[in-house]
Amino acid sequence: MQLATMVKGMRGRIERLPAGEIRSHFIRIGLVEGAIVSCMEKLPGGTIVLEFSRQEVALSGDLARSIEISQL
Amino acid sequence: MSDPTIQHKPHKHLRTNALPTDPLKTRIVLVGNPNVGKSVVFNYLSGLYVDVSNFPGTTVEVSKASYLHYELFDTPGIYGVSSFNDEERVARDIILNGDIILNIVDAVHLERDLFLTQQLIDMGKRVGLIVNMLDEAKRQKVAIDLERLEEELGIPVVGTIAVKKKGLEGIHELVVRASEGNQSRGLHAELHAMLATVGSQGEAVLLLEGDAIIAERHGVTAADVSRREEIYIDRRNRVNTVLQRVVTDAETGKRIASVFGRWSVNPILGFPILVLILYALYLFVGVFVAQDVVNFTENVIGRNFVEFHIKSWVAQNAATTIAVDILDARGNVTDTGTFRFADGTKADYNLWAAARDYPEGRDAEYTFTYDNPWLVLFFGEFGAVTMTLTYLLFLLMPLVLGFYFALSILEDSGYLPRLATLVDRLLRYIGLNGRAVIPLILGFGCVTMATITTRLLGSQREKTIATTILQLAIPCSAQLGVIAALLATAGITATVIYSGVIFSFLVLVGTVMNHSLPGETSPLLIDLPRMRLPQVDNVVKKTLYKTWFFMKEASPWFFIGALTVGVLQVTGALVWIMDAMEPLVVQWLQLPREAATAFVMGLVRRDFGAAGLYHLGLDPYQTVAALVTITLFVPCVASLMVMLKERGVREGMIIWVGSLVLALTIGGVVSQILI
Repeated sequence: MQLATMVKGMRGRIERLPAGEIRSHFIRIGLVEGAIVSCMEKLPGGTIVLEFSRQEVALSGDLARSIEISQL
Repeated sequence: MSDPTIQHKPHKHLRTNALPTDPLKTRIVLVGNPNVGKSVVFNYLSGLYVDVSNFPGTTVEVSKASYLHYELFDTPGIYGVSSFNDEERVARDIILNGDIILNIVDAVHLERDLFLTQQLIDMGKRVGLIVNMLDEAKRQKVAIDLERLEEELGIPVVGTIAVKKKGLEGIHELVVRASEGNQSRGLHAELHAMLATVGSQGEAVLLLEGDAIIAERHGVTAADVSRREEIYIDRRNRVNTVLQRVVTDAETGKRIASVFGRWSVNPILGFPILVLILYALYLFVGVFVAQDVVNFTENVIGRNFVEFHIKSWVAQNAATTIAVDILDARGNVTDTGTFRFADGTKADYNLWAAARDYPEGRDAEYTFTYDNPWLVLFFGEFGAVTMTLTYLLFLLMPLVLGFYFALSILEDSGYLPRLATLVDRLLRYIGLNGRAVIPLILGFGCVTMATITTRLLGSQREKTIATTILQLAIPCSAQLGVIAALLATAGITATVIYSGVIFSFLVLVGTVMNHSLPGETSPLLIDLPRMRLPQVDNVVKKTLYKTWFFMKEASPWFFIGALTVGVLQVTGALVWIMDAMEPLVVQWLQLPREAATAFVMGLVRRDFGAAGLYHLGLDPYQTVAALVTITLFVPCVASLMVMLKERGVREGMIIWVGSLVLALTIGGVVSQILI
């Protein structure tokens, strides 16, 4: 499923990240395939607040649609 | 895997366009992720004197200071050394030129931050590690074995709580002990082969990681992206291995977030919180600074003291006519005395005394008219020297100080990224992402200041859209004051129509640009740092630097702007322009002919434009038409100049001419419908 379909409180494992510079950036901050994320907040319009390894990161909806996760 | 055979090809060595440095001094560079407390450490080491400047060829600000016998550089917050954006490119070049790297990491976010640390080590730099925010780590039950960390990384480590000034004294020793650390093994062999080509291990690493700019500097081809990802994954794994040996946490990965931080991005509570913060901002900047403080500084200090003394000093030996207008409590002229000095005030001391005593304690305004056009140009009513001085120091500076103070508090508290998250979706409709909320809010303070801030936006496309909206539809605080006063007289219907027209126009322009400009809005990906209580000294220092930087950057443009209008006035071109505009104003906008003056004066200062409408006796609908026109009309000359500099002459002129045409069109349409 897409990261964008997560709802508040849901946990998931990252399965696939988009390619390119954004992928390199995700690796730098520790958001790699296999990382466990939870959805802290979901705003109308799809902007999503993620929590993983004590970090809190906000992504816009279009970016969240390009990331595949599996629900835990 | 790509083969690093590039060392056999012919290549060149270009100098990096780094900041001017003293070749005899050792360079220390502070490096860290955003929001790890880098500025506190920089302030601790730098002392009072700091030199803030633009990195050559970019709009990224870089601070430089002296520390003992070293040169100390601050760099923008980055997640790694590469060329993904302007900040990274700047930090990369400063790091490559640095001798000692002080790397600051957040104890709670070691997993994220040590990636950069390991990259710096791989680059062969002498590194010292500052593990900051140990208090927060303790609160979140994260135990870090600093000695073990030192052993694993092979570089010296100190632990600090920078905001409480704890452990900072250890940094002095860290500078001396900084050393080359344990490099990733696989990478190391490859680097040796490459060193012959580029001369520095740092550049060799970046070449392997596919940095196109470094490759170009040496006239070689960079390795491809897949190699970078391999190296990155390797490095990520190494960091995770180190962490397993160094960190023990009671609860795995559970973050303790502050209640306020959570509420501020909540879909239901977030907007009321935003409204409250904006209201507090309005009370502080819009009411306290813009009205109380500026009234005093602009009128009492600026106009009646500084300007008056400069003008009387000039009038000593120059042919001058002085008009003294006596004002009543509402600012209307009740009586005027005119004094003529054919040989300057020095020659006729008694008359000068009479002119000075004329008000007899009543409120008065002095107008100095010099016979010599040069004097008029520099010291007259719109004199480039006198007006610029008052405007810059006594109107704009208090406002900019106030705004940057409020902004620094919001920035240091960690609220701004949450605000960007909250409004991201809304701004996306007009082709911007959440980050653009900062320049848009600043625009209500000073459009010139906000135009400079559009630098923080991710792409040229977003900078263009944000600049256009700022120049067109956002009234600055100087103008807002006058608009509010005029609308108060015109009534509630007029206010609703005015706000509605301006707001829909803003949305319309943004939407049209979003759909017509090539490219897409860059996605928002933003770190939400912990909410923290801002430190007073840090906020004050930041406010002063930012204000100083703005004044340095914008002042010449205000002077040139005033000079331009001065020339138009002295040569008579101003009257000609007003005459030329008359049919448009009277027929199309259905306003009295004097309104043309107001529009042209709006060029000098936006509030002059609006203020010129006060005494025209407009009915409510005429007021709406006039205010719509003047809001959209033109930015002041200074913001126009800054826009031309930031966006380039071609794009700047398109925005400017476009705003002129649109203002007159929309203003006219409103007028034709209403009246």
